[in-house]
Amino acid sequence: MGIKGLSQVIADNAPSAIKVNEIKAFFGRKVAIDASMCLYQFLIAVRQDGSQLQSEDGETTSHLMGMFYRTIRMIDNGIKPVYVFDGKPPDMKSGELEKRSERRAEAEKALTEAKEKGDAKEAEKFERRLVKVTKQQNEEVKHLLGLMGIPVVEAPCEAEAQCAHLVKAGKVFGTATEDMDALTFGSSVLLRHLLAPESKKIPIKEFHLARVLEEMKLSEDEFIDLCILLGCDYCGTIRGVGPKKAVELIRQHKNIETVLENIDQTKYPPPEDWPYKRARELFREPEVTKGEDVELTWKEPDVEGIVKFMCGDKNFSEERIRSALTRMQKSRNAGTQGRIDSFFSVSTQVKCVTAAKRKAQEEAEKMKKGGKKGAPPKKRAK
Amino acid sequence: MSLQAMDSSHVALVSLKLEVGLFDTYRCDRTINLGLSLANMSKALKCANNDDTCMLKYEENEGDSIVFTFADPKRDKTQDVTVKMMDIDSEHLGIPDQDYAVVCEMPAAEFQKTCKDLSTFSDSLNITATKAGIVFTGKGDIGSSVVTYSPSSSADDENEAVTLEVKEPVNVNFSIKYMNQFTKATALSDRVRLSLCNDVPVVVEYPIEENGFLRFYLAPKIDDDDNME
Repeated sequence: MGIKGLSQVIADNAPSAIKVNEIKAFFGRKVAIDASMCLYQFLIAVRQDGSQLQSEDGETTSHLMGMFYRTIRMIDNGIKPVYVFDGKPPDMKSGELEKRSERRAEAEKALTEAKEKGDAKEAEKFERRLVKVTKQQNEEVKHLLGLMGIPVVEAPCEAEAQCAHLVKAGKVFGTATEDMDALTFGSSVLLRHLLAPESKKIPIKEFHLARVLEEMKLSEDEFIDLCILLGCDYCGTIRGVGPKKAVELIRQHKNIETVLENIDQTKYPPPEDWPYKRARELFREPEVTKGEDVELTWKEPDVEGIVKFMCGDKNFSEERIRSALTRMQKSRNAGTQGRIDSFFSVSTQVKCVTAAKRKAQEEAEKMKKGGKKGAPPKKRAK
Repeated sequence: MSLQAMDSSHVALVSLKLEVGLFDTYRCDRTINLGLSLANMSKALKCANNDDTCMLKYEENEGDSIVFTFADPKRDKTQDVTVKMMDIDSEHLGIPDQDYAVVCEMPAAEFQKTCKDLSTFSDSLNITATKAGIVFTGKGDIGSSVVTYSPSSSADDENEAVTLEVKEPVNVNFSIKYMNQFTKATALSDRVRLSLCNDVPVVVEYPIEENGFLRFYLAPKIDDDDNME
């Protein structure tokens, strides 16, 4: 899933690339959302007494509930969402997908065992692991979004890549996802926890690619190679190379070819026929629909249509759906507050570093250097 | 000495400039950024009495703090307040020169009252200005309030006049909540100057004597977005 340990690497090496903000700070922003990933989250998280929400005829409705309310919450906060759906998975992902289906099989086995033993808690845990987004659920959500007047983009391949492309093309401000690979695909801004439930009060984490590169002193290509070394969805990694070593290697050797030439391959064996070059191509030139071919319009919601679909077909409470829609209409009509930073551009970065902090940084530098020479680096507690 | 800050939601920007002429003595060897928490600085300033003189001192080799010295010559008293600095890493916005279509000057207290009156009816303030005058409108569910000023060239007192320069008419909307925050600066100055253009942030400026200003920039509300049908 995404890039292994990337957020930690960024937090350690480029802390100023991460900003923490409340949802209301994003008003007026257009945001591309990886729909497939959030559907999956809704199916896992939107539950009542441990089981998914269902309509009268036993169909799951957690995904619709989640999509409806979270979307309205964003609109309430002046955000304009665009949902991007996954297309076909890239061929290179087959390895990863195989692993996932193996894990599913394991979970399935464990689930039957737990059920036999009558362990409800364990059973629920494994049941959550078995959650899969069906084609029908995807279609239902697209239908709902259509009725709500929210634009939907069908990616030809990976949704992450499409989101990143929309950001690069200037169509949207950033990508909202939990998978860090949107950054590897070149999304200049990545937002985490944008779709987290309001009740959990999780602040939104903003990752800025340009500052990651600047602070880690990496080019975009070097960053992609670093992500491959850390571990992506498309190929394996060199055994024994963890996040720290990966950063060190890329800083020193700039790309995977040179890394391979310079490391002791008996100590750090790379995978056989390692397809890192193809993975790299996939990150550099992913299959996407060009930004100019994507038109984004936010239309008036079809209130009666939504009520008919959500309350008629899916048995949601009409009163609640209608009141949520009234709220949505109200925020739509309130007129959008402009952002001052869309009129004035950033001219300089103002830095004021206190002596205390400078000292702390120097100490940290010294520690790093000392660690290299002498004692082995401490392992991070798990 | 200048200061810039933005509110957390990036709607408004404040810019304070105090030119050298405003100080009795002023020495600064090189351009330097000092990071201070506004909350902590105001704690220091609250220690001062109205007629005190204030000295700000920062020395690079003396740690991470700024000293505010308030002196009361009548009592031969001085009070030193030391405030710790903070690390700052933020974006400084460049404000381009703008040729404003409308510039209006009026008594600061008058503008404050107008904003306060309108805010009881509405969250949003509409300003329309033509050669004939400038109109502030607040419309809400319970009713509305409309304040019209015709340019008063004949006012006896210069400080009471409402002057209006109009190159082109404007019609813009702003959040009144922010305006009410801005008018807290009314005590600084007798006059306030509003500079307006369609679809650009308004500037609410309070001059500080001859040698400085406090300016607030506020992004307008946009009625229909280009792709919001």
